[in-house]
Amino acid sequence: MDDDKLLSLVLMCIPLSLVSFGGGQAIVAGLQNQTVEVYGWMNSQQFTDLFAVSRAAPGPSTLIVALIGWQIGGLLGAIAATLAIFIPSSLLIGLVGRLWLKRRASPWVTAIERGLIPIAVGLIFAGFYILTTSAGFKFYDWATIFGVFALLWYTKVGPYTILAGVGCIYGVVAHIDLLLT
Amino acid sequence: MDAQHDEPPSEAGPTIAATAPVIKLSALLSSFLKLGASSFGGGTTAWIYRETVERRGWFSEEQFLQALTVAQVMPGANAVNLAVFLGMQLRGAAGATIAAFGMVLPAFILILVLAGAYHQLSGYPEAQAVLTGLACVGIAATLLNGVKASRLLNKRIVPILVAILVFVLVALLRWPLVWVVLALTPTSIVISYFLEGKPRHG
Repeated sequence: MDDDKLLSLVLMCIPLSLVSFGGGQAIVAGLQNQTVEVYGWMNSQQFTDLFAVSRAAPGPSTLIVALIGWQIGGLLGAIAATLAIFIPSSLLIGLVGRLWLKRRASPWVTAIERGLIPIAVGLIFAGFYILTTSAGFKFYDWATIFGVFALLWYTKVGPYTILAGVGCIYGVVAHIDLLLT
Repeated sequence: MDAQHDEPPSEAGPTIAATAPVIKLSALLSSFLKLGASSFGGGTTAWIYRETVERRGWFSEEQFLQALTVAQVMPGANAVNLAVFLGMQLRGAAGATIAAFGMVLPAFILILVLAGAYHQLSGYPEAQAVLTGLACVGIAATLLNGVKASRLLNKRIVPILVAILVFVLVALLRWPLVWVVLALTPTSIVISYFLEGKPRHG
């Protein structure tokens, strides 16, 4: 991996780290835009694959950047991207966190807490839109999305049970499909 | 689970670091490595509560809830933010670094193992289908979080319009996310400030 790519990767992650209000899912749209359209490091199918892999792993969804880093620069890329996404936001909360607690009575602090909500909502739905439109989903994929949504909304089935179940169904159906054609 | 109760629960209020006995960095590391390794499928916050409040007694419930509020409002992953903030209160910068490191390392290693498996298997059509299925589940979870977060908008028209504007600029017009957030966040905060205390719309 050349130094330019590594530098671009780090410089992409640092600002995203500082605006990731709502966590990793809020910056998925930005990550996709940068890695697929701006830098052309991968196509949108590969990005969706990495998103899928990141959801199968434990830990914060922000760790998708480790996969992006790994894809374009191996272990070094993964480490660089992970540090670049976690250090800036961690420094911020480390430096400002205590002060924030002390000032919570201030109307401006309340205004900041409230004002960030619409930003996070817009970003999360942007991530949803980008992922669903760039993957070339069929009607049954949409059915899966809304079916899983209903399961998560109405039941207490754990996300890992659902991941395992849906993964198995898709794998088996694809296998049968191959045998038949 | 070993019954290590090194420190009694502190009743000292928010400035715990000044009053409580010093907590070993090794204890901090082992707690957060364990939390990082068990952070499957969300619910991480509940596990952190169980470990740092109930089992170790490092924080009172109120201290934890305050830390959680800060972790959620600040940018970054909630679990890592919480680790940094709690670690910081226990052992300053070293504590924050160690807690965050412990929180991220297990997941980082596992995700690279999965990345290796993806690399080996991505040529098979079945593997591609499984990935599509997993992506659908992840997308459904994103939708769920989006819907849950939208309810915090309290049906107020102006914040809803701000959320829609963010969506249009980032998703439809593909403007750079960072610039959109930097431009609209101050606007949204000022709007919230002047909306406070006024009757709800809609």
